[in-house]
Amino acid sequence: MILSIRDLKKAFPKKDGEMVAIDNFNLEVKEGEFICILGPSGCGKTTLLRIVAGLETATSGVMLLNDKPIVKPGSDRGMVFQEFALFPWRTVRKNVEFGLEIKKIPTNKRTEISQRYIDLVGLKGFENYHPHQLSGGMKQRVGIARALANEPMLLLMDEPFGALDAQTRNLMQKELLRIWQETKKTVIFITHSVDEACYLADRIVVMTSRPGTIKETFQITWGRPRDRASVEFANLRKTILAELEREVFSSPATITGVERD
Amino acid sequence: MSGTYSSKNQSMSRKAVLRRRLQNITIIIISLTAFILFWWGLAILLDLQYLPPPDEVFDAFIKSFTTPDPNIGTTMDQNIVASFQRFIQGFALAFVVALPLGLLMGFVPWVDTFSRPIVEIFRPIPPIAWVPFFFVAFGAFWNPVLTVFIGVFFPLLTNVILGVRSVDESLLDAARTQGAGRVLLFSKVILPFSIPYLMTGVTIGMGVGWMCIVAAEWFGAIGGGVGYYILVQENVGMYPNMFAGIAVVAILGLLTVSLSGYLEKIIRRRMGMS
Repeated sequence: MILSIRDLKKAFPKKDGEMVAIDNFNLEVKEGEFICILGPSGCGKTTLLRIVAGLETATSGVMLLNDKPIVKPGSDRGMVFQEFALFPWRTVRKNVEFGLEIKKIPTNKRTEISQRYIDLVGLKGFENYHPHQLSGGMKQRVGIARALANEPMLLLMDEPFGALDAQTRNLMQKELLRIWQETKKTVIFITHSVDEACYLADRIVVMTSRPGTIKETFQITWGRPRDRASVEFANLRKTILAELEREVFSSPATITGVERD
Repeated sequence: MSGTYSSKNQSMSRKAVLRRRLQNITIIIISLTAFILFWWGLAILLDLQYLPPPDEVFDAFIKSFTTPDPNIGTTMDQNIVASFQRFIQGFALAFVVALPLGLLMGFVPWVDTFSRPIVEIFRPIPPIAWVPFFFVAFGAFWNPVLTVFIGVFFPLLTNVILGVRSVDESLLDAARTQGAGRVLLFSKVILPFSIPYLMTGVTIGMGVGWMCIVAAEWFGAIGGGVGYYILVQENVGMYPNMFAGIAVVAILGLLTVSLSGYLEKIIRRRMGMS
């Protein structure tokens, strides 16, 4: 197992006691696996990913990355953000090289690595562009290249295509699968799109609403690329949607609409 | 389809922008002409010694550059250089103090808590209020420099702090997941992010700085100065010269502020943060 999460709990302090965001969460991730975590808004799926990234600390529980406990952020876990989070003053190349600079990798080696990942995500020729000159899809390609350039064990993706239009989104899903197959990374992908999860994942983890825990997991054994129009695709989507809908209606948080994840 | 539509739209708007610009320039010319005519009319109508008409001021302006002023012994360009030197010195001093302090106050909570009360006591004081004290305590040389320092310091400080505080949380997260610790977060994210904000502070400071220098020089200036020149001309009743001095201040202020504004724009664009 490349990642083990056992009995994870995350609670935020509140005026009257605490708000439990995640409770009793257990997950084992195999190397090279593509996992999608699906859940209603406010179920703590983003919080979960941030804890794995080391950006937030768990209240209790054990988290092991290759048998070593996760205590802080590190370049062994690459993260891709919904809002891209690119450094606006850095060019595409400089964004991709950010982590390599931090590791003090010499310039020529840095250029070689960044070029490899820029090519991988299909941005050859855009090396010297600034983020504001790129479309949303291209920005996220930079985000993916930047995360991969550190050669992380885990690729953590927090609704990475959530800010993209539907067509770009489908294209990026295809591209991500290609990149995943070429790099053989382990991916944890947060999404609230059932369709996206069914298209991408080896395993779909459906979370309950707050406190977030695993409601059900779906192992998908079909090959790729998947046919969205196929009967089994439609059936799986229907099953998961039904699960989620039950969750949404039982969740006070989504009914009042105040909380976000 | 959508491509051709939007490009057509764009070229139309470009034409409209051009027309708007031309319109604006015409309005500006009209407004300046109207102002000068109004001034002229007023000067003739009131016939006051201390309100000379524009042509007299213009002559005095030209002459001030060619012949040394009998009361000060310097030409206008020497006055400009003298004031400008003080301006630069005060500005540089403010810069080297405000930049590190602002970065620290923005980034390290206890530094902010410690400095905030002192800053808030001094901030509302108009810089000019310090002039008599600076003159007595530090003499005619340091007085204008220190006044400019005070005037420029607060806009710089405020904007640097604002810059540090405005850093996108997601950029910090991204840097953290790339393995950046506190020092690297600071040097590779917070510092570059603050630069455009710093430039805003510089532009504001430029404007304030000129007000400070003129007022400070009224208490005396070694080797001339534009503010000093204005005061002396009033004392000896050379009103066209006085207005020429005022015009010089206006031009210098306009030049430095717009230069710095232009620089700010270029930096923002080059950094992809406009």
